[in-house]
Amino acid sequence: MHLSDGWMIFVILAFTMYIVLDGYDLGIGVLTLFERDERRRRDMFGLVAWLWDGNESWLVLIALTLWAGMPLAAGIALPALYIALVPMLWSLIARGVSLVMIDQRAGWPPLSGRVFAISSLLVGFCQGAAFGGLVAGLSAHGGSFAGGPFEFLHHGYAVLTGVTAVALYVLAGCAWVYLKSDGETQLRAARVGRVAVVLLAAGTAASWLLVPVAGSTTLDPGAAARLPVCIAGTAVLAAGLVFALRSFSDPRARRPGRAPVFATLAVYAGGLLLAGGLLYPRLVPPDITVHAAASPHTALLFMTIATGALIPLILTYQAYGYWVFRGKVDLKQEATTA
Amino acid sequence: MSHDTLLDLSRWQWALTAAFHITFPAVTVGTSVFLVVCYAMYMRTDDEVWLRMFRFWRRIFGVGFTLGVVSGIVLTFQFGLNWGSFAHDVGPIVGVAILMEVVMAFFLEAGFLGLLIYGEGRISRRMMMFSACMVSLGTMLSVTWILVANSWMQTPAGYKRVNGQFQPVDWLHVIFNPSFGIRFIHMLIGALVAAGWLICGISAWYFVKRRHLPIARRGLSVTLGVLSILVPLQIYVGDSVAGGYVAKYKLPQLEAMEGNWNSANTGENVIVIPNQDAAKNEWQVTIPWLGSALGAKDWSGHTATPGLKLTPQSVRPMMLPTFYGFRAMWWPTVLMIAVVLAGIALRLRGRLYSARWFHKLLVGLVPIGFVAIWAGWVLAETGRQPWLVYGQLLTADAVSPLKPWSVLTSLTGFVLLYLALLGTYVWYVVRAVREGPGDGPLAEPPAPPLRSEPRPGLAPVG
Ligand code: HDD
Ligand code: HEM
Ligand code: HEM
Repeated sequence: MHLSDGWMIFVILAFTMYIVLDGYDLGIGVLTLFERDERRRRDMFGLVAWLWDGNESWLVLIALTLWAGMPLAAGIALPALYIALVPMLWSLIARGVSLVMIDQRAGWPPLSGRVFAISSLLVGFCQGAAFGGLVAGLSAHGGSFAGGPFEFLHHGYAVLTGVTAVALYVLAGCAWVYLKSDGETQLRAARVGRVAVVLLAAGTAASWLLVPVAGSTTLDPGAAARLPVCIAGTAVLAAGLVFALRSFSDPRARRPGRAPVFATLAVYAGGLLLAGGLLYPRLVPPDITVHAAASPHTALLFMTIATGALIPLILTYQAYGYWVFRGKVDLKQEATTA
Repeated sequence: MSHDTLLDLSRWQWALTAAFHITFPAVTVGTSVFLVVCYAMYMRTDDEVWLRMFRFWRRIFGVGFTLGVVSGIVLTFQFGLNWGSFAHDVGPIVGVAILMEVVMAFFLEAGFLGLLIYGEGRISRRMMMFSACMVSLGTMLSVTWILVANSWMQTPAGYKRVNGQFQPVDWLHVIFNPSFGIRFIHMLIGALVAAGWLICGISAWYFVKRRHLPIARRGLSVTLGVLSILVPLQIYVGDSVAGGYVAKYKLPQLEAMEGNWNSANTGENVIVIPNQDAAKNEWQVTIPWLGSALGAKDWSGHTATPGLKLTPQSVRPMMLPTFYGFRAMWWPTVLMIAVVLAGIALRLRGRLYSARWFHKLLVGLVPIGFVAIWAGWVLAETGRQPWLVYGQLLTADAVSPLKPWSVLTSLTGFVLLYLALLGTYVWYVVRAVREGPGDGPLAEPPAPPLRSEPRPGLAPVG
C-alpha cells in the first residue's frame, strides 16, 4: 500500500465525521423550519448551540486533508466548484452568527431563527451539489481546472444530489432529536424522519443511476475488484434505510430512542462504502486519481504521524463533551401541554 | 485585461476577508488569557467579583470567537477556490502547516469552548479552569501555525521545487524559517496588546459612568499593568522585525516602507505622495538625521536609507500601502507608549481611579490595537508583493482561472455579509457593555436546555 492510500483514510475519516456530526445539526436547523412552537424551537437551537463549532472543525479538516495531502485535487476541484461552494460559505457565516444571536437572546429572534433554518438548508444543498458536481466529473488540463463556471451542474444533476444531501441531513437531525427528546417533539421528529427516509432512498438511487448520463464519469460496478464492495455497500445502505423507517414507526422503541441513530449510521456507512466501491481510486473524476494527486512522501509522512497521533486525543475530548451534555432536552412545556 | 481584473478582484477578496478575520483572533487570543486570569483568581480567592468578570468577558469572547470561526473557514476554502495553482504548488508545505493548526489548535479550541461557555453547573471548577486554559492554549497554537505558514511564504526555506511544486526537504528548516520566530512573537504580543486596550477601555467606560466600580477597578489595573510591560517590549520586538528580518530578507519592502526612491536620504520621511510609475515622490516631508539614527542606528546621521530604485521595476512593491501601513502601526504605538507612561505616573500619585480625563481617553483608545494589527498586516503582505512566495512564486501566476464576474459576485457577497456582521458585533458589544456585568446577586449560569439530572445510560452518540 502506498502512503497516499493511507492518507486517504484520514480524508475519509474527516469526511465521515463531518457529515455525521454536522449532518445532524444542519438537519436540526432544517427541522426548525417546520416547527411552529416557539419553545420547542428554542430547545432545538439549544441542542445545537454548544457543539456546532466542534462539528464544523471537521469541515475545515476535510479541506486541509485534501489541500495538504492531495494538492492537485484541491487545486482543480475547488475552483471548479466555486459557484457551489461560495454560497455554502455565505450560508455557514449566516448560520453561525444567527445561532449565537439566538443563544445570546440578542437581535430580533424571529429573523435569527429564520436565517438559521434557511442557511442550514442551503449549506446542506450546496454541499450535496458540490459532491454531485465532483462525482459526475470535472474537466482538468495541465493541473488546473479547464471547464466553465457551471460545468459542475451537469444539466441539473447537481440539484438532485443537493436535494438528496438535504434529505440525508434531515434524517440525521430527526434521529438526533428523537434521541434527545420525548413526547410531542419526539413524535414530530419521527414523522418528518419517515418522509426523509423515503426521499433519501429515491434520491440516492437516482443519483447513482444517473451518473453516466449526466457527466463524464464512467461507473463500472461489475468490475471484479469493485463488485463485493458495491454489493456490501448497497446492502448496508438498504438495511439502514429500512431499519430507520421501522424504528421511527415503532412506538415501543421510543425509550431511550437510540434505534434511529444507529439506523442513520448504517445509512452513512453503506453510502460511503458504495461511493468508495464505485469511485476509488479516482479522487477528482474522471481522470485524477488519489496517487496522481498526492503530496510528496516527505509531506505525507510528517502529516500521517502528526495527525495519527492527535486524532485519538481529539476524539477523546470531543466524546467527553458529549458525555458532559448527555441527557434529554428539558422540555419545560411538557408539564403544561402533556 | 481580463486576467488583470481577475487578479485584482481575487486580491481584494483575499485582503478584505483576511483583514476581517484577523480582527477576531485579536479579540479572542487576548481575552482568553484574561478569562484564565479571572477564573484563576476566583478559584484562589473565592471572591465573586472575579467570577462576575469571568462571565462578563466570556460573553464578549464567545461572540468574537464565533465570528473568528466562520470567517476563518472562508479563508481556508479561499486558498483553493481563488488561488488554485497556489494550492497545488504550496500544498505540501503551507497546507501542511495549516493542517497542523487544525488538528492541534482548532479542535482543541472547539472541543473545550462548549464546556467553557455552557459547562457551569455541569463540570467542576477545576474542569472549568482546565477548559479555559485549553481554549487559550488553542488560540496560541493557532497563532503559531498560521505564522509558520505565512512566514514561510515571506522567507521560504527547507524545500526543493519539483515541476513547480514546493516540496519539503527539511521540516525543521520549513517550520523555523528565518522570519518565523520574531514574527510569531510580534503577532502574539500584538494580539495581547489589542485585547488589552479593548478591556482597558471598557473598564474605563464604567469609571466614566460610575458603574460596577469593583470590576472596573480590577480590569483597568490589570490591563494597564500588563500594557506597561507589553507595549515597550513590542517596540523592541518590532524594531528587530524591521532591522533583523525585513532589512535582511525583504529589502525592497524596507525601501518602500521608508518612502525613498534614491538611496541618498539620511532623514526620516513623515509624509510622502509617491508616484510609482515615475519612480519619484511628488511631495514629501522629511525630518533630517532621524532616518539614519532610527533605521541604521547610526547616530552620527550619515547612513542613508536604501531606496526603491535598487529593486528592478517589475518586482517593486507598492510604496503607498507599505509606507502608510508602517506609519499606521508606528504612530499608534507612540500614542500607546505615551498613555502607558501617563498611567504609570497617575498610579504612582494614587490618581489612577479618579482621573476622569484619563478614563475618557482610554475609552477612545479601544480600537487602537486593532488599527496597528491591520496596518502591520497590510505592510507585511503588500511589502511581499508581487511575490506570493517571496522570490519564487508570483501572485499573478497563482490565481485560479475563474470568470471575473464570479469573483466580483462572491466579493460583493462577502463585503455585504461582513459589513452586517461587523455592525452586529459592535452593536452586541455595546449592548453587553451597557447591560454590564450586573450588580445584583449572581444569576444562574447559562445552560443548554438539558435536564439538570442527566440520565445515566444515555451513551454519547457519534
Ligand atoms: C493571530 C493569529 C491568526 C491569524 C493570522 C489567522 N488566524 Fe485563523 N484563527 C485564529 C488565529 C489566527 C484563532 C485565534 O485561533 C481563531 C480566531 C477565533 C477562533 O475561533 O479561533 C481562528 C479561527 C480560524 C478558523 C476556524 C477554526 C475553527 O473551526 O474552530 C479557521 C478555519 C482559520 N482561523 C483559518 C485561518 C486562515 C486560513 C488564516 C490566514 C490566512 C488565518 N486563520 C489567520
Ligand atoms: C490574518 C491576517 C492577514 C491579513 C490582514 C492579510 C492581509 C493581506 C493583504 C492586505 C493582502 C494583499 C496584498 C496585495 O495584494 O497587495 C494579502 C495577500 C495575501 N496573503 Fe495575507 N493577510 C493575512 C494573513 C495571511 C496568512 C496567514 C496567509 C497564509 C498563510 C496569507 C496569504 C496571503 C495570500 C495567499 C495573498 C495573495 C493574495 C493577494 O495578493 O491578495 N495571508 N494578505
Ligand atoms: C514601534 C513599534 C513597532 C515596530 C517598529 C513594528 C515593526 C513591524 C514591521 C517592520 C512589520 C513588518 C513585518 C513583515 O514584513 O513581515 C510589522 C508587522 C506587524 N506588526 Fe508591528 N511594529 C511595531 C508595533 C506594533 C504594534 C504595537 C502592533 C499591534 C498591537 C503591531 C502589530 C503588527 C502585526 C499584526 C504585523 C503583521 C504580522 C507580521 O508581519 O509579523 N506592531 N511590524
